Amino acid sequence: MAYLTLKERMTIPTYNDPKTCRAGRVVIEHEKCNGCGNCALVCPGACLYVAGVGRDRKAYMVDKAVPDCMSCNACAAICKRGAIRAEQGYDFGGFYKALHRAEMVPPRNF
Amino acid sequence: MVETLTEKKHGKEAAFGEMYVWREGMDWNPVERVILERRSVRKYRDEQVPEKLVRRILEAGRFAPSAGNAQPWRFVVVRDRDMLDEMEKYVRWRCQILKFMLDWESSPLGRLSWVLSQIYIRLMPNKLHPIPFGAIRLIADGKLKLFHGAPTVIFILEDVRGVSKPQVDIGICGQNMVLAAHSLGLGTCWVGFVELLKFGSKWKKKLGATWPYRFIEAIALGYPVGEPDGMVARELHEIDWWEGGRKRSVF
Repeated sequence: MAYLTLKERMTIPTYNDPKTCRAGRVVIEHEKCNGCGNCALVCPGACLYVAGVGRDRKAYMVDKAVPDCMSCNACAAICKRGAIRAEQGYDFGGFYKALHRAEMVPPRNF
Repeated sequence: MVETLTEKKHGKEAAFGEMYVWREGMDWNPVERVILERRSVRKYRDEQVPEKLVRRILEAGRFAPSAGNAQPWRFVVVRDRDMLDEMEKYVRWRCQILKFMLDWESSPLGRLSWVLSQIYIRLMPNKLHPIPFGAIRLIADGKLKLFHGAPTVIFILEDVRGVSKPQVDIGICGQNMVLAAHSLGLGTCWVGFVELLKFGSKWKKKLGATWPYRFIEAIALGYPVGEPDGMVARELHEIDWWEGGRKRSVF
């Protein structure tokens, strides 16, 4: 049983086609977000920004088909209000297909 | 003697489990907390780390396990802002060259850059994985800084004559230092892009990365802006578990 088919193994994904690859996905709860911008400051993929003025100042994810999000959750760690978190790991498919992964959960103290 | 340690962290009272014992569901012990709360820090305060603190962190690296006790590393500490800025500029220039050659979305080479990228990705599937490929673009565009403004950077050079798998030993050694640094209140970030300094003979000479040494990784070190540390969610991995002659999957 091979983990990747020969076709997958030979396929280099296009890196920017949402049909074949999936970037990390960040969920922002705008009711909790106060637009402080710390998440945008620490995001290694530069895929967050803040926009708006006053009470409407909120964080947003950049409008790209495949943003550079690597679901590292640096945004979640720095957010004091718990308004942002990465919910999905990335999978570029083809040669880089993610294997043996399941949903994202916090540390469990068995 | 059962003693529960508590500590004020991020304004909250945090409980600690004991060291060297395990009871089901007990609080994280201090070592586990350091491991689980360590995040890569990408924004540093403009405040130098005391020399003795860096020396103490280097001690944690010195006592890392390595294959055959070969200790195949050499540490180079750089604390000069001008030098770090210059290295950052050099790596950015290298990334701009790579972007020009390989980034088929923006390269003026057009179709040729697409062909080049397909060849190079197959030759270097790890270094040109989609994530570092994106980072090359971001560094080239100045959207991602190499050392994130850290005041101290520890380079870990690899002695290529090390036993077995020297790069693994370097990872172990660096993780020792990173965890020690976090436990002492500092932020750290692994910087693999320093490898691009190998194309500059000036940097190879200046940092002593000539044979048998070579650039592998660097650790940016400093006081973080804000409170970037904390536990976060991560993907579960499927684990094969063999016991009693049968295999099952655990997560």
